[in-house]
Amino acid sequence: MWLHVRLSEVCLFLQAMFILACCFSDMESGPIATSGSVQPNGDRFKIEGRAIVPGVKTQDWISSARVTVEGEEYIGFLGTDGSFVVNDVPSGSYVVEVISPGYKFGAVRVDITSKGKMRARLVNFIKTSEVIRQPYPLQLRSSGPRTYLMKRETWGWTDFLMNPMVMMMVLPLLIIVLLPKVVNTNDPEMRKEMEQSMNMLNPNPELPDVSEFMTKLFSGSKSSSSKAIGGSKASGRPAVKRRWCQNITCTSGLRNYCNWSCHGNYNAIFKKSFFIRLYNCFLSRVFFPSSEIQVCK
Amino acid sequence: MSKPTSLFVIFFSLFVMSEAVFEDQVGKFDWRQQYVGKTLFAHFDSHSQSSKKLFLATDKNIFASFNSRTGELFWRHVDKAGPEGTIDILLLHGQDALMVVGGGRLLRSWDTNMGGLNWEAVLDTGSFQAACFVAMQDTVKHVAVLKKAGTVRHWFSYLVYSGGEEEVYVLGVVPNSHLTIIAYSLEDGEIIKQRSVEAPWLSSVESSCVVVGHGVLMCVDTATLALYALPIQAEEAPQFNQILLQSLDLEVSPGFQPVLVSSQPHPARSPISEFFLQLGPDHHVLLQLNADGYTIAPLRDFQPAFLVSFSTTGEKTVAAVMTPKNETSDVFPPQLYVHAFLKKDDSVGYRVLVQTQDHALTFIQQPGRVVWTREEALADVVTMEMVDLPLTGTQAELEGEFGKKADGLFPMVLKRLSSQVILLQAWLAHLWKLFYEARKPHGQVKNEVTIETLSRDEFNLQKMMVMVTASGKLFGIDSKSGSILWKHYLENVQPNAVFKLIVQRTTAHFPHPPQCTLLIKDKDTGLASLHVFNPIFGRKSHIAPPALPRPILQSLLLPVIDQDYAKVLLLVDDQYKVTAFPSTKNVLQQLQEMASSIFFYLIRSDQGNLSGFRLRKDLSTERIWEVVLPTEVQKIVAVNGKRPNEHVHSQGRVMGDRSVLYKYLNPNLLAVVTESTDAHPERAFVGVFLVDGVTGRIIHEAVQRKARGPVHFVHSENWVVYEYWNTKSRRNEFSVLELFEGTELYNSTVFSSLDRPHLPQVLQQTYIFPSPITTMEATLTEKGITSRHLLVGLPSGAILSLPKMFLDPRRPEVVTEHSREENLIPYAPEMPIRTEWFINYNQTVARVKGIYTAPSGLESTCLVVAYGLDIYQTRVYPSKQFDVLKDDYDYVLISSVLFALFFATMISKRLAQVKLLNRAWR
Repeated sequence: MWLHVRLSEVCLFLQAMFILACCFSDMESGPIATSGSVQPNGDRFKIEGRAIVPGVKTQDWISSARVTVEGEEYIGFLGTDGSFVVNDVPSGSYVVEVISPGYKFGAVRVDITSKGKMRARLVNFIKTSEVIRQPYPLQLRSSGPRTYLMKRETWGWTDFLMNPMVMMMVLPLLIIVLLPKVVNTNDPEMRKEMEQSMNMLNPNPELPDVSEFMTKLFSGSKSSSSKAIGGSKASGRPAVKRRWCQNITCTSGLRNYCNWSCHGNYNAIFKKSFFIRLYNCFLSRVFFPSSEIQVCK
Repeated sequence: MSKPTSLFVIFFSLFVMSEAVFEDQVGKFDWRQQYVGKTLFAHFDSHSQSSKKLFLATDKNIFASFNSRTGELFWRHVDKAGPEGTIDILLLHGQDALMVVGGGRLLRSWDTNMGGLNWEAVLDTGSFQAACFVAMQDTVKHVAVLKKAGTVRHWFSYLVYSGGEEEVYVLGVVPNSHLTIIAYSLEDGEIIKQRSVEAPWLSSVESSCVVVGHGVLMCVDTATLALYALPIQAEEAPQFNQILLQSLDLEVSPGFQPVLVSSQPHPARSPISEFFLQLGPDHHVLLQLNADGYTIAPLRDFQPAFLVSFSTTGEKTVAAVMTPKNETSDVFPPQLYVHAFLKKDDSVGYRVLVQTQDHALTFIQQPGRVVWTREEALADVVTMEMVDLPLTGTQAELEGEFGKKADGLFPMVLKRLSSQVILLQAWLAHLWKLFYEARKPHGQVKNEVTIETLSRDEFNLQKMMVMVTASGKLFGIDSKSGSILWKHYLENVQPNAVFKLIVQRTTAHFPHPPQCTLLIKDKDTGLASLHVFNPIFGRKSHIAPPALPRPILQSLLLPVIDQDYAKVLLLVDDQYKVTAFPSTKNVLQQLQEMASSIFFYLIRSDQGNLSGFRLRKDLSTERIWEVVLPTEVQKIVAVNGKRPNEHVHSQGRVMGDRSVLYKYLNPNLLAVVTESTDAHPERAFVGVFLVDGVTGRIIHEAVQRKARGPVHFVHSENWVVYEYWNTKSRRNEFSVLELFEGTELYNSTVFSSLDRPHLPQVLQQTYIFPSPITTMEATLTEKGITSRHLLVGLPSGAILSLPKMFLDPRRPEVVTEHSREENLIPYAPEMPIRTEWFINYNQTVARVKGIYTAPSGLESTCLVVAYGLDIYQTRVYPSKQFDVLKDDYDYVLISSVLFALFFATMISKRLAQVKLLNRAWR
C-alpha cells in the first residue's frame, strides 16, 4: 500500500520531461515539436533570418560565422543553408549582426514587443527612434569580402611615366618637337583648316574671353578657389571643364604649349576624359598641394 | 563648408595609410594560436575509415572539430560563455553531432562535415539530467533527453537506457530507499510500465551503476563490498542479485569508491557483457557477466592502471588500459578516449586521446607515439608579462665595457680592441653560417628557437611572454614564433585563485638572473603564497619566499632595489602589517629611510570604502585618508592607476595660437569607476572619480546618467577613456576626460601631490561607438614620443586600433584657423570603425579577455598580445615606422639611380673633354 501511494506520488511530482524529438532521416524538416514565433516558455521569443553570401558556397563560410544579438548577449549559429534562429530572446530592442571574418554583413535592429511582434529596421545610432523598415524574417546579404589589408605602392616605370606631373612636362614637349615636323604650317590648306578648328572652339563669339574671366576669378577671394575644386570634381559638364583647363594651363606659365593646345587641335585631344582628369589633377596640385592623394584618386 | 569636409577626408586617408596591415606583412611578425579549453566530451569520426576528424566539446562552451593528424582546428563554434552555453552532452552518430546546451535549454544537431547547424530545438523547462540515442531496428532515429521539472526532491540520480527495443527505460533512485524503473513507449512517449525495487544501499545510480549485457543493471556498493545485478526488462517483480567481491577474490583499496565502466557500442544493440571495475586509484579488473545474467567471471587484473576505456570497430571491441611507465609523472590524466579501427590485415589498430589534469591534450598513435599535444590551459590566460631576453655573450661583453669603472687609458684601449675583435669574430661566424645554410636545400633550413639559443635581437622586438593560466600552469612563450619554450604546472592551485605576476628583476642585471614572482591568492580565504621563478627558463628560484600566514589585501612593487638589483615587493595583510620581499637588512634599512614617502591605497568594494595608508618606520601603517562611496547608491567596479613603466614625452600641447596647454601629469592619480546599484534604465548611472592616491583628494567627478556597465576604461598620461552602455539610446558610448594644468605650470621641475593648490581643468567629450566592446588598452612605447592608439577588443574577435586623436575632447564643432593648425579633427558624434584598422585582419581572437602592450627597443613599435580563448601576438606602429627603413624600401631603385647618375657623370665628363679638345683644335 505504502509503495503504491509512494508510486503515484512519484508519478505526480516527477514530471520527468521526456522529449522524443527529431528525425535523423530527414534533416531539412527539423524538429516538429516547436513551431511558430512564440515558444513554449512564455515571454521568450526567437529571431529568425537568413544570411547569404552571393557567389560563395555556404559550406565555405558558415563554419566560421555566427549570429550575435546585442554583442554576445545571445548567440545563434548558421544552418547548412545559411538560415539562422536565435532562441530564448526576451522582448526588447536588439542589434542583430552576422559576424564572419571573411565577409561583410550589415547590422539590423530587431524590436520585439512584449506580445512577440517583431519588426526589423536599419540601425541608426544617432537618430535612435528613426524607423526604416527591413524585411522580417531577416534577409542579410553580404556586401562582399572584407578588406583588411593594404596594397603596397610599388614603383614601376609605367607609374612614373603616367604620373600627371611627368605627363604635363613630357607630352607638350613631344608635341612641340614633333608637330611642326609632321604638319606643314606653310601649306595654305592646312592653315585654313586650323583657322576653322579655332572657330569651332569658340562657337559663341559673344561670350567673354575665358582667360579674362578666370583671372578675375582667381584674383578674388580664397573661397572661389575652393569652389574650383568642387568644379573640377564634377565631371558631368564638359563645357565648363574646357574653360577651366584652358585657363589654368594658360595662367600657370606654360603659355607656349598651352596656347597651342587650347587653340590648335583642341577637340581631338581634350575630348578624351583622361586628359580632363590629368588637368584636374594638375589643377589640384597647383592650388592644393596637400590634397594630392585624395583628389587625384 | 566644403573645405572642412575635404580636410576630414584627407585625415582619414592619412590614417588609413598609417594603420592598415600591408599585404606582405601578413604572418611576418604576427601569429595566432587557437585553443578550445578543457575537453568534456570527445568523439572520433568513425563515419569513414580514413577520416581524420575529431570532435570535442569543452568546458569553455565550444564545439570544435580537429584534424587528428596535426591537431589543428577545422572549425570551432564558440557559444555564449557561462551556464547558458554549457554543453551538457555530446552524442555522435554518423555525420550528426547532437548536443544538449545550457542545462537542457536547447537541443542542437550539427552537420559535422560542413560545420553547420542542422537544426536547433528549444526544450521544455527543466534541468538536464541525461540523454541517449534510441534506436529501432538497427537505425538510430530518436534521441531521448531526460529533464527534471519543478522542484522534485525524490529522485537524485537518473539513468536513461535503451537497448534497441521500442522502449526507453528511465531509472531513478530515491537515496537509500528504492529504485524506480519506468518504461516509456517510443511511439508516443507514454508510460508503459513502472516498477519499484528495494535498494536501501543505493544512493546514486549515476556514479555507481552501469548497464551491462542484455539490460542488466550492475551496481557496486562500498559498504557491503558487493556487486548487484538487476535485469531491467524483467516482466515479473525484479530483484537485485548480490555478488560479494570477496567471492571473486577482489579487494577494494581502503577509502576508495569503486567505479564501474561499461560500453554500449551501438544504440541499437545491447551493451557488451564485459565491464571494468576500478578497485583502487591504479587498480582495474576486467569482468564478464555470464550468459545467465547473474554470475560474474573475472577476466583479467590490471595493476597498475590509471585509466581504462572501451572502443568498438565493426564486431570487435577493444579494451584500452593506460599504465604508467614511471612513477615520476606528476600530472594525472583524468580522461581517456580511444578510437579503434580495423587495419587492412583485419587486425585492430587504435588511436588514443588523453586529457591530463593540467589541461594538456595528447594524441597518441598505435605504437605509443605522441602525434601532437595541445596545451589547452592557454585557453584561459589570466595574466601575463613580457620579459626582455638575455644578451648573448658578445653583447654582454660590450655592455660590460661601458659598465665598468675606467682603469687607465691603456687597458681601456686594449679592452675596446679585444671586444671589437670578438664582434668581428661573431660577424664572420654569422656570415659563414649564412653561406653554409644557403647551400642547403631550402626546406631543410630550420630556424628553431630553443631555450639555449635565445638572445635579444638588436631592436629588442623578441621577448619572452610569461603567461599565467587559470589552471595554475605557467608558460614561457617566445614572442617571435609563438613556440612554448617552457611550462611549469603548479599543483594545489585552487580553482578560484587570483594571480598577480610581478617582474622583480629584469634581465638587465647580469650576472643576476631575472626574477618573476607570482602571487597566488585564494579568493575565499585571502590566503596567499608566492612562487618565485626565472622567467627565461621557468625554473623555480632557490630564494625562499616569506611565509604569509595572514590574508593579503594589497601588494605593491616599490622602485627600491636591494643589493642584488631585485625590486622590493610589499605585501599588506589584513592587520595592515607589511611584509617585504626580499627582506634583507639592506632593504629594511632603505625602507626605514623612505617610509614617510611610501603611500598605498586599499579598496573595500563591499563597503564602498577607498582608503589611503602611509608606511611607518617599523613597517606598520597608518591610515591617512578615507573616501566612502555609499554602497546603497553605487558600488566600486574598478580602480586603476597609471602604468608605472609609462613615459610621457611632452609636458604640454602647443595650441594654434602658439601658447602651451600643460598636461596635468599626476603619477598618483587613481581612476575609480562606480556603477549604480539601481538597475532601472532611467535611474542607472556610471560614475568616474579621479582621486589622488596620496592625499585622497577628489580631483574630478563625472557622472554619466542613464548609463550602465560593463565599463571598460583606460587611464594613461593625462586622460581617462571609458566606455559604457547608454540605456536611453541603447548604444555604446565612449567618453574621454582630459586634465590640463592650464597655460602655466605650477611647479615644472617636480610633481608633488601634497603641493598642488590648483585643481586641473577638465575637458570631456563623448562619442557614439557602433559596437559593444570586450576589452580596451592603450599602446605603449619606449619614450612616449609616438602618438597613442587605443586597442579595442570587439566581440567579433577583431582588435581595433583607434587613434587617440579621435578621442580628444578638444575636437571642435566649428573649425577655426587655430584648430586646423593644431590638426584637430572636427567633432563627429559617431566614431568610425574601419576594417583596415583591425590589426589582426581575419585572425580573430575569440572572447578577448585582455590586451597586453609592451614597448620594444624601437620607439615607433609597440608589441601587442591579445589573449582570451586564442592568443594573438603582433606589433603596431601608431605613427608609422619612422625610425627604421620601411619594409618596402626600394633598394634596387635607389642603387640603380645612383649608378645611373654615376655613369652619366662619367660619360658626360668624357664627352665634355672631347668637346673641349675639338674646340681647342678649331
